[in-house]
Amino acid sequence: MKKIFFVLFLFTLLQAQGQVKKVTLQASGLTCSMCSNSINKALKSIDYVEKVMANIQASSFEITFKPGAKVNFDELKKKVEDAGFAVAGLTASVDFENVAVTNDEHVTVNGMVFHFLNVQDQTLSGTKTIKVIDKGFVSAKDYKKNGKYTKMECYKTGTAGSCCVKGGLAAGTRVFHVTI
Amino acid sequence: MKILIIVLSFFCFQQLKAQELFVYTEPASNMAAKSIGLRLNNYLQKEKFQSKYNYMFIPELMWGVSKKIMVHAEGVFSNRSNRLKAEGAALYAKYRFYSQDEVHNHFRMAAYIRGSVNNSPIQQPAIDLNGYNSGYEAGVVATKLIHKLALSANVSFIHATDNNTGNKFLYGNKNRNAIGYALATGQLILPRQYINYEQTNFNIMAELLGQTNLSSGKSYLDLAPSFQFIFLSKMRLDIGYRFPIVNDLERMSTNGFLLRLEYNFFNVYK
Repeated sequence: MKKIFFVLFLFTLLQAQGQVKKVTLQASGLTCSMCSNSINKALKSIDYVEKVMANIQASSFEITFKPGAKVNFDELKKKVEDAGFAVAGLTASVDFENVAVTNDEHVTVNGMVFHFLNVQDQTLSGTKTIKVIDKGFVSAKDYKKNGKYTKMECYKTGTAGSCCVKGGLAAGTRVFHVTI
Repeated sequence: MKILIIVLSFFCFQQLKAQELFVYTEPASNMAAKSIGLRLNNYLQKEKFQSKYNYMFIPELMWGVSKKIMVHAEGVFSNRSNRLKAEGAALYAKYRFYSQDEVHNHFRMAAYIRGSVNNSPIQQPAIDLNGYNSGYEAGVVATKLIHKLALSANVSFIHATDNNTGNKFLYGNKNRNAIGYALATGQLILPRQYINYEQTNFNIMAELLGQTNLSSGKSYLDLAPSFQFIFLSKMRLDIGYRFPIVNDLERMSTNGFLLRLEYNFFNVYK
Protein backbone atom coordinates (compact mmCIF):
# COMPACT_ATOMS: atom_id res chain seq x y z
CA MET A 1 0.00 0.00 0.00
CA LYS A 2 2.79 2.35 1.00
CA LYS A 3 4.48 1.58 -2.29
CA ILE A 4 1.38 2.59 -4.20
CA PHE A 5 1.25 5.87 -2.33
CA PHE A 6 4.90 6.42 -3.04
CA VAL A 7 4.37 5.76 -6.73
CA LEU A 8 1.34 8.05 -6.75
CA PHE A 9 3.35 10.68 -4.92
CA LEU A 10 6.14 10.37 -7.46
CA PHE A 11 3.58 10.62 -10.21
CA THR A 12 2.08 13.85 -8.83
CA LEU A 13 5.60 15.20 -8.44
CA LEU A 14 6.29 14.44 -12.05
CA GLN A 15 3.01 16.03 -13.02
CA ALA A 16 3.76 19.18 -11.06
CA GLN A 17 7.16 19.31 -12.65
CA GLY A 18 7.28 21.95 -15.34
CA GLN A 19 3.72 23.06 -14.75
CA VAL A 20 3.12 26.57 -16.12
CA LYS A 21 1.22 28.33 -13.35
CA LYS A 22 0.89 31.81 -14.70
CA VAL A 23 1.73 33.81 -17.80
CA THR A 24 2.09 37.56 -18.01
CA LEU A 25 1.68 38.75 -21.54
CA GLN A 26 2.18 42.22 -22.85
CA ALA A 27 0.41 43.17 -26.06
CA SER A 28 1.36 45.94 -28.44
CA GLY A 29 -0.46 47.99 -31.01
CA LEU A 30 -3.46 48.86 -28.81
CA THR A 31 -5.12 52.22 -28.58
CA CYS A 32 -8.25 51.71 -26.54
CA SER A 33 -10.02 49.64 -23.95
CA MET A 34 -12.13 48.11 -26.74
CA CYS A 35 -8.96 46.68 -28.30
CA SER A 36 -7.81 45.45 -24.91
CA ASN A 37 -11.20 43.88 -24.35
CA SER A 38 -11.01 41.99 -27.63
CA ILE A 39 -7.70 40.43 -26.49
CA ASN A 40 -9.15 39.75 -23.06
CA LYS A 41 -12.11 37.93 -24.56
CA ALA A 42 -9.91 36.01 -27.02
CA LEU A 43 -7.61 34.77 -24.23
CA LYS A 44 -10.58 33.72 -22.14
CA SER A 45 -11.89 31.63 -25.03
CA ILE A 46 -9.01 29.14 -24.57
CA ASP A 47 -10.43 26.15 -22.70
CA TYR A 48 -7.53 25.67 -20.24
CA VAL A 49 -7.39 29.32 -19.24
CA GLU A 50 -8.87 29.85 -15.79
CA LYS A 51 -8.65 33.60 -15.39
CA VAL A 52 -7.38 36.66 -17.22
CA MET A 53 -6.55 39.79 -15.27
CA ALA A 54 -6.05 42.73 -17.60
CA ASN A 55 -4.05 45.82 -16.86
CA ILE A 56 -5.51 48.07 -19.55
CA GLN A 57 -3.15 50.94 -18.83
CA ALA A 58 -0.08 48.78 -19.40
CA SER A 59 -1.81 46.58 -22.04
CA SER A 60 -0.68 43.52 -20.09
CA PHE A 61 -2.63 40.39 -19.19
CA GLU A 62 -2.01 38.04 -16.29
CA ILE A 63 -3.28 34.61 -17.30
CA THR A 64 -3.78 31.75 -14.84
CA PHE A 65 -4.53 28.22 -15.92
CA LYS A 66 -6.65 25.31 -14.84
CA PRO A 67 -4.78 22.62 -12.86
CA GLY A 68 -2.86 20.23 -15.08
CA ALA A 69 -3.28 22.47 -18.13
CA LYS A 70 -0.88 21.95 -21.01
CA VAL A 71 -0.13 25.56 -21.75
CA ASN A 72 0.76 26.40 -25.32
CA PHE A 73 2.55 29.75 -25.63
CA ASP A 74 1.98 29.73 -29.39
CA GLU A 75 -1.78 29.51 -28.87
CA LEU A 76 -1.71 32.51 -26.52
CA LYS A 77 0.27 34.46 -29.10
CA LYS A 78 -2.13 33.49 -31.88
CA LYS A 79 -5.11 34.76 -29.88
CA VAL A 80 -3.44 38.16 -29.49
CA GLU A 81 -2.52 38.28 -33.18
CA ASP A 82 -6.01 37.26 -34.28
CA ALA A 83 -7.39 40.13 -32.27
CA GLY A 84 -5.25 42.35 -34.50
CA PHE A 85 -2.30 43.00 -32.22
CA ALA A 86 1.18 41.70 -31.42
CA VAL A 87 2.91 40.22 -28.39
CA ALA A 88 5.58 42.50 -26.98
CA GLY A 89 6.57 40.25 -24.09
CA LEU A 90 5.63 36.96 -22.45
CA THR A 91 6.89 35.71 -19.09
CA ALA A 92 5.79 32.47 -17.47
CA SER A 93 5.92 31.25 -13.89
CA VAL A 94 6.95 27.63 -14.11
CA ASP A 95 7.41 25.04 -11.36
CA PHE A 96 10.81 23.41 -11.66
CA GLU A 97 12.12 20.45 -9.68
CA ASN A 98 15.89 20.15 -9.83
CA VAL A 99 16.17 20.93 -13.51
CA ALA A 100 19.75 21.42 -14.59
CA VAL A 101 19.98 24.28 -17.05
CA THR A 102 22.95 24.91 -19.27
CA ASN A 103 23.38 28.03 -21.32
CA ASP A 104 22.60 27.59 -25.03
CA GLU A 105 21.36 24.03 -24.58
CA HIS A 106 17.98 22.37 -24.70
CA VAL A 107 16.14 20.89 -21.78
CA THR A 108 12.80 19.10 -21.84
CA VAL A 109 10.47 19.94 -18.97
CA ASN A 110 7.05 18.28 -18.84
CA GLY A 111 7.01 17.74 -22.56
CA MET A 112 8.05 21.29 -23.41
CA VAL A 113 11.46 21.88 -24.91
CA PHE A 114 13.21 24.97 -23.62
CA HIS A 115 16.40 26.41 -25.02
CA PHE A 116 17.91 28.65 -22.36
CA LEU A 117 19.86 31.63 -23.61
CA ASN A 118 21.94 34.23 -21.80
CA VAL A 119 21.77 32.35 -18.49
CA GLN A 120 24.32 31.00 -16.05
CA ASP A 121 24.47 27.23 -15.72
CA GLN A 122 22.33 26.35 -12.73
CA THR A 123 19.80 23.99 -11.24
CA LEU A 124 16.25 25.35 -11.13
CA SER A 125 13.98 24.47 -8.24
CA GLY A 126 10.65 25.89 -7.19
CA THR A 127 8.64 28.49 -9.10
CA LYS A 128 10.80 30.49 -11.50
CA THR A 129 9.89 33.15 -14.00
CA ILE A 130 11.16 32.60 -17.51
CA LYS A 131 10.84 34.96 -20.45
CA VAL A 132 10.10 33.64 -23.92
CA ILE A 133 12.33 35.40 -26.46
CA ASP A 134 11.25 33.66 -29.64
CA LYS A 135 10.28 35.57 -32.75
CA GLY A 136 6.88 37.18 -32.24
CA PHE A 137 7.16 37.06 -28.45
CA VAL A 138 9.42 40.13 -28.17
CA SER A 139 9.79 43.25 -30.28
CA ALA A 140 11.54 42.76 -33.61
CA LYS A 141 14.45 44.82 -32.27
CA ASP A 142 14.90 42.62 -29.19
CA TYR A 143 14.59 39.47 -31.26
CA LYS A 144 17.47 40.61 -33.41
CA LYS A 145 19.52 41.67 -30.39
CA ASN A 146 19.08 38.32 -28.64
CA GLY A 147 20.37 36.52 -31.73
CA LYS A 148 23.93 37.06 -30.46
CA TYR A 149 23.39 34.53 -27.65
CA THR A 150 23.23 31.50 -29.93
CA LYS A 151 24.38 30.28 -33.30
CA MET A 152 21.81 27.50 -33.48
CA GLU A 153 19.35 27.68 -36.33
CA CYS A 154 16.44 26.67 -34.08
CA TYR A 155 16.44 30.26 -32.81
CA LYS A 156 15.37 31.33 -36.28
CA THR A 157 12.90 28.54 -37.00
CA GLY A 158 11.55 27.88 -33.49
CA THR A 159 11.69 24.17 -34.22
CA ALA A 160 14.33 21.49 -33.73
CA GLY A 161 16.66 21.10 -36.67
CA SER A 162 20.09 19.63 -37.29
CA CYS A 163 21.42 21.85 -34.48
CA CYS A 164 19.32 20.03 -31.91
CA VAL A 165 20.23 16.37 -32.54
CA LYS A 166 22.37 16.27 -29.39
CA GLY A 167 19.31 16.31 -27.18
CA GLY A 168 17.72 13.54 -29.25
CA LEU A 169 14.94 15.83 -30.39
CA ALA A 170 12.85 14.83 -33.35
CA ALA A 171 13.16 17.30 -36.21
CA GLY A 172 10.34 19.81 -36.16
CA THR A 173 9.78 19.68 -32.38
CA ARG A 174 8.78 23.10 -31.10
CA VAL A 175 11.65 24.68 -29.15
CA PHE A 176 10.90 27.68 -26.94
CA HIS A 177 13.87 29.98 -26.55
CA VAL A 178 13.81 31.42 -23.05
CA THR A 179 15.87 33.37 -20.60
CA ILE A 180 15.64 34.00 -16.88
CA MET B 1 -0.69 83.82 -15.41
CA LYS B 2 0.79 82.99 -18.80
CA ILE B 3 3.20 80.58 -17.17
CA LEU B 4 0.33 78.94 -15.35
CA ILE B 5 -1.51 78.41 -18.64
CA ILE B 6 1.59 76.98 -20.28
CA VAL B 7 2.18 74.64 -17.37
CA LEU B 8 -1.47 73.60 -17.35
CA SER B 9 -1.62 73.01 -21.08
CA PHE B 10 1.62 71.04 -20.93
CA PHE B 11 0.08 68.96 -18.17
CA CYS B 12 -3.02 68.36 -20.25
CA PHE B 13 -0.96 67.37 -23.25
CA GLN B 14 0.95 64.88 -21.12
CA GLN B 15 -2.34 63.18 -20.31
CA LEU B 16 -3.46 62.86 -23.90
CA LYS B 17 -3.26 59.59 -25.72
CA ALA B 18 -3.72 58.83 -29.36
CA GLN B 19 -6.89 57.25 -30.65
CA GLU B 20 -7.51 55.83 -34.10
CA LEU B 21 -11.12 54.68 -34.12
CA PHE B 22 -11.96 57.35 -36.63
CA VAL B 23 -15.52 58.33 -37.33
CA TYR B 24 -15.60 59.20 -41.04
CA THR B 25 -12.67 57.11 -42.24
CA GLU B 26 -11.40 53.63 -41.47
CA PRO B 27 -7.94 53.22 -39.91
CA ALA B 28 -5.43 50.70 -41.28
CA SER B 29 -6.09 48.54 -38.23
CA ASN B 30 -8.69 45.81 -38.43
CA MET B 31 -11.31 44.61 -36.04
CA ALA B 32 -10.57 41.39 -34.14
CA ALA B 33 -10.82 38.13 -36.07
CA LYS B 34 -13.93 36.04 -35.44
CA SER B 35 -15.80 39.09 -34.20
CA ILE B 36 -18.95 40.72 -35.49
CA GLY B 37 -19.85 44.38 -35.22
CA LEU B 38 -23.11 46.15 -35.94
CA ARG B 39 -23.30 49.81 -36.85
CA LEU B 40 -26.33 52.01 -37.19
CA ASN B 41 -25.25 55.07 -39.15
CA ASN B 42 -27.65 58.01 -39.19
CA TYR B 43 -26.87 60.92 -41.49
CA LEU B 44 -28.71 64.21 -41.41
CA GLN B 45 -27.71 66.24 -44.45
CA LYS B 46 -28.79 69.78 -45.18
CA GLU B 47 -30.19 69.79 -48.73
CA LYS B 48 -29.19 72.58 -51.08
CA PHE B 49 -32.00 74.95 -52.20
CA GLN B 50 -34.27 73.39 -49.58
CA SER B 51 -34.86 74.04 -45.94
CA LYS B 52 -35.20 70.37 -45.04
CA TYR B 53 -32.61 67.92 -43.86
CA ASN B 54 -32.31 64.58 -45.63
CA TYR B 55 -32.20 61.59 -43.37
CA MET B 56 -30.13 58.64 -44.45
CA PHE B 57 -29.99 55.44 -42.45
CA ILE B 58 -27.16 53.02 -43.18
CA PRO B 59 -27.11 49.83 -41.12
CA GLU B 60 -23.73 48.16 -41.41
CA LEU B 61 -22.60 44.66 -40.50
CA MET B 62 -18.87 44.19 -39.87
CA TRP B 63 -17.03 40.89 -39.77
CA GLY B 64 -13.43 40.21 -38.74
CA VAL B 65 -12.68 37.34 -41.12
CA SER B 66 -9.07 36.88 -40.05
CA LYS B 67 -6.41 38.98 -38.40
CA LYS B 68 -5.74 40.64 -41.75
CA ILE B 69 -9.10 40.73 -43.50
CA MET B 70 -12.34 42.41 -42.50
CA VAL B 71 -15.56 42.86 -44.44
CA HIS B 72 -18.45 45.31 -44.11
CA ALA B 73 -21.88 44.98 -45.70
CA GLU B 74 -24.30 47.86 -45.58
CA GLY B 75 -27.76 48.85 -46.69
CA VAL B 76 -28.82 52.39 -47.61
CA PHE B 77 -32.20 53.86 -46.66
CA SER B 78 -33.07 57.46 -47.41
CA ASN B 79 -36.05 59.81 -47.27
CA ARG B 80 -34.95 61.92 -50.25
CA SER B 81 -38.09 60.86 -52.08
CA ASN B 82 -40.11 62.03 -49.07
CA ARG B 83 -40.46 58.66 -47.46
CA LEU B 84 -37.81 56.39 -46.02
CA LYS B 85 -37.02 53.64 -48.51
CA ALA B 86 -34.21 51.30 -49.45
CA GLU B 87 -32.00 52.88 -52.09
CA GLY B 88 -28.82 50.86 -52.16
CA ALA B 89 -26.25 48.55 -50.68
CA ALA B 90 -22.49 48.33 -50.47
CA LEU B 91 -19.71 45.88 -49.71
CA TYR B 92 -16.37 46.92 -48.28
CA ALA B 93 -13.27 44.80 -47.63
CA LYS B 94 -9.98 45.75 -46.05
CA TYR B 95 -6.72 43.84 -46.06
CA ARG B 96 -4.01 44.84 -43.59
CA PHE B 97 -0.74 44.07 -45.31
CA TYR B 98 1.81 45.77 -43.10
CA SER B 99 2.12 46.08 -39.32
CA GLN B 100 4.93 47.24 -37.16
CA ASP B 101 3.75 47.08 -33.58
CA GLU B 102 5.40 48.28 -30.42
CA VAL B 103 3.76 48.86 -27.07
CA HIS B 104 2.72 52.48 -27.54
CA ASN B 105 3.69 52.98 -31.11
CA HIS B 106 2.61 51.34 -34.32
CA PHE B 107 2.52 51.77 -38.05
CA ARG B 108 0.07 49.87 -40.19
CA MET B 109 -0.97 49.85 -43.80
CA ALA B 110 -4.03 48.37 -45.44
CA ALA B 111 -5.62 48.18 -48.87
CA TYR B 112 -9.37 48.35 -49.32
CA ILE B 113 -12.08 48.08 -51.94
CA ARG B 114 -15.68 49.17 -51.91
CA GLY B 115 -18.42 48.32 -54.35
CA SER B 116 -21.84 49.89 -54.13
CA VAL B 117 -25.15 49.87 -55.92
CA ASN B 118 -27.77 52.61 -55.71
CA ASN B 119 -31.21 53.20 -57.21
CA SER B 120 -31.58 56.92 -56.66
CA PRO B 121 -31.33 59.62 -59.35
CA ILE B 122 -27.82 61.09 -59.58
CA GLN B 123 -27.96 64.79 -58.85
CA GLN B 124 -24.34 65.82 -58.38
CA PRO B 125 -20.94 65.41 -60.09
CA ALA B 126 -19.25 64.59 -56.78
CA ILE B 127 -19.18 60.83 -56.33
CA ASP B 128 -20.40 59.35 -53.07
CA LEU B 129 -20.40 55.57 -52.83
CA ASN B 130 -21.78 55.83 -49.34
CA GLY B 131 -25.41 56.31 -50.24
CA TYR B 132 -25.59 58.20 -53.55
CA ASN B 133 -23.77 56.41 -56.36
CA SER B 134 -23.25 52.99 -57.83
CA GLY B 135 -19.58 52.35 -58.44
CA TYR B 136 -16.37 51.12 -56.95
CA GLU B 137 -13.40 52.40 -55.04
CA ALA B 138 -9.91 51.02 -54.33
CA GLY B 139 -7.51 52.62 -51.94
CA VAL B 140 -4.74 52.38 -49.39
CA VAL B 141 -4.63 53.67 -45.85
CA ALA B 142 -1.63 54.16 -43.56
CA THR B 143 -2.04 54.74 -39.84
CA LYS B 144 0.77 55.83 -37.57
CA LEU B 145 0.35 55.87 -33.85
CA ILE B 146 2.89 57.49 -31.64
CA HIS B 147 2.08 57.58 -27.97
CA LYS B 148 0.07 60.81 -28.02
CA LEU B 149 -0.83 61.19 -31.66
CA ALA B 150 -2.64 59.01 -34.18
CA LEU B 151 -2.43 60.05 -37.81
CA SER B 152 -4.07 58.28 -40.67
CA ALA B 153 -3.79 59.04 -44.37
CA ASN B 154 -6.06 57.64 -46.98
CA VAL B 155 -6.00 57.80 -50.76
CA SER B 156 -8.29 56.03 -53.20
CA PHE B 157 -9.43 55.80 -56.79
CA ILE B 158 -13.19 56.18 -57.20
CA HIS B 159 -15.26 55.27 -60.24
CA ALA B 160 -18.96 56.00 -60.67
CA THR B 161 -21.09 53.79 -62.88
CA ASP B 162 -24.69 54.58 -63.80
CA ASN B 163 -27.11 54.06 -60.96
CA ASN B 164 -29.67 51.29 -61.20
CA THR B 165 -33.22 51.66 -62.52
CA GLY B 166 -32.11 53.85 -65.41
CA ASN B 167 -30.60 56.64 -63.36
CA LYS B 168 -27.61 57.65 -65.45
CA PHE B 169 -24.47 59.50 -64.42
CA LEU B 170 -25.22 62.76 -66.19
CA TYR B 171 -21.93 64.60 -65.96
CA GLY B 172 -20.00 63.05 -68.84
CA ASN B 173 -18.12 59.77 -69.06
CA LYS B 174 -14.77 61.38 -68.44
CA ASN B 175 -15.99 62.77 -65.11
CA ARG B 176 -16.76 59.35 -63.69
CA ASN B 177 -13.31 59.03 -62.10
CA ALA B 178 -12.10 60.78 -58.99
CA ILE B 179 -9.40 60.62 -56.35
CA GLY B 180 -10.53 60.49 -52.76
CA TYR B 181 -8.24 61.44 -49.90
CA ALA B 182 -8.47 61.88 -46.16
CA LEU B 183 -6.34 62.77 -43.21
CA ALA B 184 -7.51 61.84 -39.74
CA THR B 185 -6.29 62.36 -36.22
CA GLY B 186 -7.73 61.40 -32.87
CA GLN B 187 -7.12 61.82 -29.17
CA LEU B 188 -8.24 59.92 -26.13
CA ILE B 189 -9.43 62.43 -23.55
CA LEU B 190 -10.91 60.18 -20.88
CA PRO B 191 -10.23 58.13 -18.88
CA ARG B 192 -6.98 59.52 -17.58
CA GLN B 193 -6.17 56.17 -16.04
CA TYR B 194 -7.52 52.88 -17.35
CA ILE B 195 -8.71 50.80 -14.43
CA ASN B 196 -11.37 48.52 -15.87
CA TYR B 197 -13.43 47.75 -18.98
CA GLU B 198 -16.53 49.47 -17.59
CA GLN B 199 -14.97 52.91 -17.82
CA THR B 200 -16.41 55.15 -20.51
CA ASN B 201 -13.85 56.37 -23.02
CA PHE B 202 -14.21 59.81 -24.48
CA ASN B 203 -12.35 60.59 -27.69
CA ILE B 204 -12.21 63.55 -30.02
CA MET B 205 -11.36 63.29 -33.69
CA ALA B 206 -10.73 65.63 -36.56
CA GLU B 207 -10.83 64.46 -40.15
CA LEU B 208 -10.20 66.14 -43.49
CA LEU B 209 -12.18 64.50 -46.28
CA GLY B 210 -11.55 65.41 -49.87
CA GLN B 211 -12.25 64.47 -53.45
CA THR B 212 -10.84 65.71 -56.74
CA ASN B 213 -12.45 64.82 -60.03
CA LEU B 214 -9.76 63.44 -62.33
CA SER B 215 -11.15 65.12 -65.41
CA SER B 216 -12.65 68.44 -64.33
CA GLY B 217 -10.03 68.96 -61.62
CA LYS B 218 -12.72 70.30 -59.32
CA SER B 219 -12.46 69.45 -55.64
CA TYR B 220 -14.12 69.58 -52.32
CA LEU B 221 -12.46 69.37 -48.95
CA ASP B 222 -14.49 68.98 -45.77
CA LEU B 223 -13.49 69.29 -42.18
CA ALA B 224 -15.23 66.83 -39.89
CA PRO B 225 -14.76 67.15 -36.15
CA SER B 226 -16.37 64.46 -34.00
CA PHE B 227 -16.85 63.16 -30.50
CA GLN B 228 -16.82 59.54 -29.57
CA PHE B 229 -17.89 57.64 -26.50
CA ILE B 230 -17.00 54.01 -25.89
CA PHE B 231 -19.13 52.22 -23.32
CA LEU B 232 -18.24 48.96 -21.56
CA SER B 233 -15.40 48.48 -24.06
CA LYS B 234 -17.81 47.17 -26.70
CA MET B 235 -20.29 49.93 -27.58
CA ARG B 236 -19.48 53.07 -29.49
CA LEU B 237 -21.39 56.29 -29.98
CA ASP B 238 -20.03 58.72 -32.58
CA ILE B 239 -21.33 62.22 -33.16
CA GLY B 240 -19.82 64.15 -36.02
CA TYR B 241 -20.43 67.19 -38.17
CA ARG B 242 -18.88 67.85 -41.56
CA PHE B 243 -18.66 71.11 -43.43
CA PRO B 244 -16.72 72.25 -46.49
CA ILE B 245 -13.60 74.38 -46.45
CA VAL B 246 -13.11 73.98 -50.19
CA ASN B 247 -16.32 73.59 -52.16
CA ASP B 248 -15.58 73.65 -55.84
CA LEU B 249 -17.00 70.26 -56.83
CA GLU B 250 -20.76 70.52 -56.72
CA ARG B 251 -22.77 68.56 -54.18
CA MET B 252 -26.47 68.57 -53.30
CA SER B 253 -25.65 68.72 -49.64
CA THR B 254 -22.44 69.72 -47.98
CA ASN B 255 -23.15 70.18 -44.30
CA GLY B 256 -24.43 67.39 -42.16
CA PHE B 257 -24.46 65.43 -38.96
CA LEU B 258 -23.54 61.83 -38.36
CA LEU B 259 -24.82 59.87 -35.41
CA ARG B 260 -23.53 56.34 -35.19
CA LEU B 261 -24.15 53.52 -32.77
CA GLU B 262 -21.83 50.54 -32.86
CA TYR B 263 -21.93 47.30 -30.93
CA ASN B 264 -19.20 44.68 -31.03
CA PHE B 265 -19.50 40.98 -30.32
CA PHE B 266 -16.01 39.58 -29.74
CA ASN B 267 -15.12 35.94 -30.47
CA VAL B 268 -18.50 35.04 -31.84
CA TYR B 269 -17.24 31.67 -33.03
CA LYS B 270 -14.18 29.45 -32.40
